[in-house]
Amino acid sequence: MNHFIFVINSAFQDFSRNKGRTFLTSLGILIGVLSVVILIAFGLGLKKYINDQFQSLGSNLIRVVPGQILKGGSFSSTGSLSTIRFDAKDVARLQRVRSAKNVIPVISKSITVSIGKGTEGANLYASTADVFIALNLKAKYGELFTKNDVEKRSKIVVIGPKIAAKLFTTEDQALGRNIKVEGQSFRVMGVLDAKGGGGFGGPDLDSFIYMPHTTAQVFNPDKKFYAIIVQSKSDIAIADAKLELKNALLKRYKEDDFSVIDQAELLGAIESIFGMLNTVLVAIAAVSLVVGGIGIMNIMYVTVTERIKEIGIRRALGARKEDILMQFLVESVALSLLGGLMGLGLAYIIVYFIHNFFPAYIDVNSVILALGVSSVIGIIFGVFPAKKAADLSPIDAIRYE
Amino acid sequence: MISLSHVNKKYVLDDDVIFSALKDINVTIEQGEFTSIIGPSGSGKSTLMHIIGLLDQPTSGQIRINNKDVSKLNDDQLSSLRNEFVGFVFQQFNLINKLSVMENILIPTIYTRSKLSHDPLEKARYLIKRFGLEGKENSFPNRISGGQQQRVAIARALIMNPKLILADEPTGNLDTKTGTEILKLLHELHEHEKITVIIVTHDPNIAAQTKRKIEIRDGEIQ
Repeated sequence: MNHFIFVINSAFQDFSRNKGRTFLTSLGILIGVLSVVILIAFGLGLKKYINDQFQSLGSNLIRVVPGQILKGGSFSSTGSLSTIRFDAKDVARLQRVRSAKNVIPVISKSITVSIGKGTEGANLYASTADVFIALNLKAKYGELFTKNDVEKRSKIVVIGPKIAAKLFTTEDQALGRNIKVEGQSFRVMGVLDAKGGGGFGGPDLDSFIYMPHTTAQVFNPDKKFYAIIVQSKSDIAIADAKLELKNALLKRYKEDDFSVIDQAELLGAIESIFGMLNTVLVAIAAVSLVVGGIGIMNIMYVTVTERIKEIGIRRALGARKEDILMQFLVESVALSLLGGLMGLGLAYIIVYFIHNFFPAYIDVNSVILALGVSSVIGIIFGVFPAKKAADLSPIDAIRYE
Repeated sequence: MISLSHVNKKYVLDDDVIFSALKDINVTIEQGEFTSIIGPSGSGKSTLMHIIGLLDQPTSGQIRINNKDVSKLNDDQLSSLRNEFVGFVFQQFNLINKLSVMENILIPTIYTRSKLSHDPLEKARYLIKRFGLEGKENSFPNRISGGQQQRVAIARALIMNPKLILADEPTGNLDTKTGTEILKLLHELHEHEKITVIIVTHDPNIAAQTKRKIEIRDGEIQ
């Protein structure tokens, strides 16, 4: 133990004598660790971001959509080739399913919306009044449309705060005004509270225009739905609810014609794609760690050559091969670990700033990985120079000038 | 204590010529002797010293230390023997310049595998005091004089309480006055501590001060 402290101590004394060389050598590992840790932090941030997006939608939501979207946990490569479209009969059928609490048909459509001379592209999201409950949407100004509005086919809309901000100078000005959707006039009865998000597969609920599905039939004459959202009863397991819904639809459609997907599945599929991408990036960054390791190996060979005489003296005084091996191995591991620590420190600082606009973060695993990997690199690339030092013959080493 | 019988050392030179550095050496050195190995440069005296000090192995022949054949020992065992049995003093001092005086003296103690009967730090302080190196404990070797450096080297050689001191031209890099002091120190160690001392030298004046002289020329004992 005493010996080990002595060896570590002398390694660091050596570093302080060769500050420039030590820094340059560990720079390779620094850059490697920095890029790997930051990329992992981005990956984690992305996962958290996507998770938060879906969390805000409510967890007991099941989507029934045409075609096979997911296959084996990832998005199907063949895509949704099915041509089926759901209609009122399907909605009625799903409403009879025991585990379904709310069955919400959805018509989603790209539309243009205009006020005065300004025209914007937007998404129409036509549904029942329950859509606000299911997606956890609340009115910031005005009110949400009700069952009554759906029955009466009221010519009203509720708009998201983003589209409100685009069309009007302030969100509250939208209230009571008429906007034109595909040329037809609708009164704005409410502006929603911001939900945040959008992108990465999560719907951007803040920029939708919400309308009773009955009213939207003017844009959708065949009365078919793009998807059906089912909110299951909270005391029933999602898997059971999905099975019941599926069995209900199998009476009419083939298995390949539609998908019953829950949030977790969709989330898993999106995560697996980004996870894969992130893994590839991390792997590329890891190459720089190997390059850093080669740099350490190079400098360790130089160090060994510079210190042949010292090795000879130590051997004459009773050092065993393993003592010399350990001395140089400790040095290369310390060198690599130093680079790893600096890289980690720098990564912390950078991630701290990134955190202002993206939820990237460094977890315990990244820290363990960074320090573990840099130690292992120190051992792998240090062992050959250290072995060379240990295998020098004592007499040749001490006579070396 | 040390006996060499029929020891040969041959080197293969670049042009496949075999050079015999030592030829059939038979010598015994008893415990408590003060011996010099004298010979001109190239006589093989350094090779002999390296073999006695277990730094080098003979091509053939037998070395017995305390009646034990050391030619059968492996590298680790030889290292331990160098560590505990021999103390080296070199012409070039061979201190490690990046380590302080104190650290240099303590080097052998970090490589020992056996439990020391004495406290190495206490012993180091005693040697520093005895050799007049007080105040230099934290100095670096290139900041002290040659005589002081050699004293540090002798302190390092003594830290493990060895039975044998092997001094290779210990005064070779020192002026006459300092050289005499170092020799006096070695004499004292021999007399007071009953340590076996072997001095390798080319200088007849130094050899004259030892009780026994082993003269070597062209790899053979005269």
